[in-house]
Amino acid sequence: MTIDASLSSSQAAKPAPRRRWRIAAWAPLIVLVLLCGLITLINPNFLTFGNMVRISQAAMIPLVLGLGATFIILMGSIDLSVEGGLTLSAVILSMLVLNGANSNAFGVFGILIVLLVGAGVGFANGVIHVRLKIPSFMVTLGMWFVGVGAANALLGGMAIRINDPMIRSLAIERFLGFPWGVWLALFCLLIALVIQNYTRLGRYIYALGGGEDLAALSGIPVGRVRILTFTLAGVFYAVGGVLAAAQLGLGNAQIGTGRLFTTVTAVVVGGTALSGGQGSVLQTLVGVLIVVVLSNGMVLMGVPPSVQIGVQGLMIIAAVALSIDRKRMRIVK
Amino acid sequence: MNSILDTFRSDGLRQWLPLATLVILVVLVGAFQPAFLVVNTLLQLASDTAVLFILATGVTFVIMLGGIDLSIQSMASLSSVVVALTLSRFGYGAFAFAFGLGALAGLLSGIAHVKLRIPSFIATLAMGGVLYSAALVTSKERSITLGESERAYLGWITGTVFGIPNVVLIGLIVLVIAHILQSRTRFGRYSAAIGAGEPAAYASGVKVDRQKVIAFVLSGACAALAGIVLVGRLASGSPTLASELLLPSIAAVVVGGTAITGGVGSIWRTLVGALIISVVRIGMTFLGVNIFAQNIVFGVVLVAAVAITIDRSKIPIVK
Repeated sequence: MTIDASLSSSQAAKPAPRRRWRIAAWAPLIVLVLLCGLITLINPNFLTFGNMVRISQAAMIPLVLGLGATFIILMGSIDLSVEGGLTLSAVILSMLVLNGANSNAFGVFGILIVLLVGAGVGFANGVIHVRLKIPSFMVTLGMWFVGVGAANALLGGMAIRINDPMIRSLAIERFLGFPWGVWLALFCLLIALVIQNYTRLGRYIYALGGGEDLAALSGIPVGRVRILTFTLAGVFYAVGGVLAAAQLGLGNAQIGTGRLFTTVTAVVVGGTALSGGQGSVLQTLVGVLIVVVLSNGMVLMGVPPSVQIGVQGLMIIAAVALSIDRKRMRIVK
Repeated sequence: MNSILDTFRSDGLRQWLPLATLVILVVLVGAFQPAFLVVNTLLQLASDTAVLFILATGVTFVIMLGGIDLSIQSMASLSSVVVALTLSRFGYGAFAFAFGLGALAGLLSGIAHVKLRIPSFIATLAMGGVLYSAALVTSKERSITLGESERAYLGWITGTVFGIPNVVLIGLIVLVIAHILQSRTRFGRYSAAIGAGEPAAYASGVKVDRQKVIAFVLSGACAALAGIVLVGRLASGSPTLASELLLPSIAAVVVGGTAITGGVGSIWRTLVGALIISVVRIGMTFLGVNIFAQNIVFGVVLVAAVAITIDRSKIPIVK
């Protein structure tokens, strides 16, 4: 039912051939169900409650990052600064809350500051991208390394242990059997859903992705929408940073390694098209679950984790190749 | 703001800006650290630049077409692992094997890009993941140090001819070959044409897809060569050996004045760009900037250089 809602919204943005799009929208969910069934056949332990909790724990950070990236990709842009924003947020958080390196103890206030930092990184991305008219992948490629470099400079090669009980409880304390971090990620999903379906920003994002020149002609403040969306994505990456720091129990500069890859994989495997205008945050939820369930299944089958990056790479290529509407684009750069 | 950018865009000035920057930087660093301007230090600078230059040369071919290759650092690392693992068995054949692997990976990225019509940044991002994974698996996630007998094969990289390090000579050979490819062959002309205007190039009968695949093959092969040279210099291979080199390589191309939108650029500019990056790095080391924090500077330099060189008339909608 919920997927139907996203369906109608994408159709509003671009009247695609109805039938084809319907199948394309359901394909990721079908893949997810088949994948779960297959892994259960090979290893029945997959369906235990304990493993569900493990999957939810593994999915919470990719989900939050994927939500931010979905909005960017819906506009037809890309954000490669996921790791930069996340690492910088996690490191700054570890310095602001009760920790093993200095005497700060800002608690919740520290989290708010970190969210502002994330917003700042995203805002910088957006302003440089829009005002200097630089393609987003180039701006965010630069910001990726600026973010990680800044985190390194702040740490000076150390790692900072987090002693704040509230941050730690995100990963440790449970509600209904699931860690609080998972609930926080679901709350973020709810917020993203509201933004996508019930706000003007959400409509505008779809309009931009569907056809930017048309959107501009109908009076949408294109530049402002882009900057706002990048800022929003930055906040989501900062939440991801908070969760990552909570999960690891410390802030270090390697905390973001590999996250960009998982994020992009999840979004495109969920069926959100890189060309923009098609997709939704719920599809990203499905994409995240596919990626996480697959890696969980590979762990259960004894496949080494290093193989998983390669599998994700192939998944990106397959998913993008399947979702691209080749009739719409003659030039691919 | 825009008027400043317009001034930079006027071609006469933009053409010479990178070279002027390089000279100013060299003079600046030389003034602060007179030891920098000694022949030995400069040769050392050239050797340190060689790997960066080789990587940047490969990616220049792709950027000239208006694409991008984000898999070069993974390819270079994989190539270092492959050489380190097979050197004792294949001898000199290990280098050829790694080189061929690089060309093959480039071929696959190119085919994924043109046949499946996947944007190059995402196709190569994915390919980079596949290559990184391959390097992790084959090396069992460890760095491999070469034994004494294997180091004997590295003479052609570590040696010197008339006092000039072989690494510099390898870089010069790459420069000559790449320059000839770019300015004297049909491939070079077609690349420039496709970068300047793909629909027009296509309409005039250029086999656009084939040229693109060739560019990716060259990029993969150059990345593999860079990995081989790294093995020679460090006498070890590792799956993360080159992971810090992606940003400086792309920055080198763009800082040299090759436009990310394609069509404008040359290998000479990439050489100037790579030297600028090296001098900036040395300058920062003199100033005591943390090696990881240097990425902040490279990130900013990259974005600034793109802002100056990009041809905005070619992208009516910036995504």
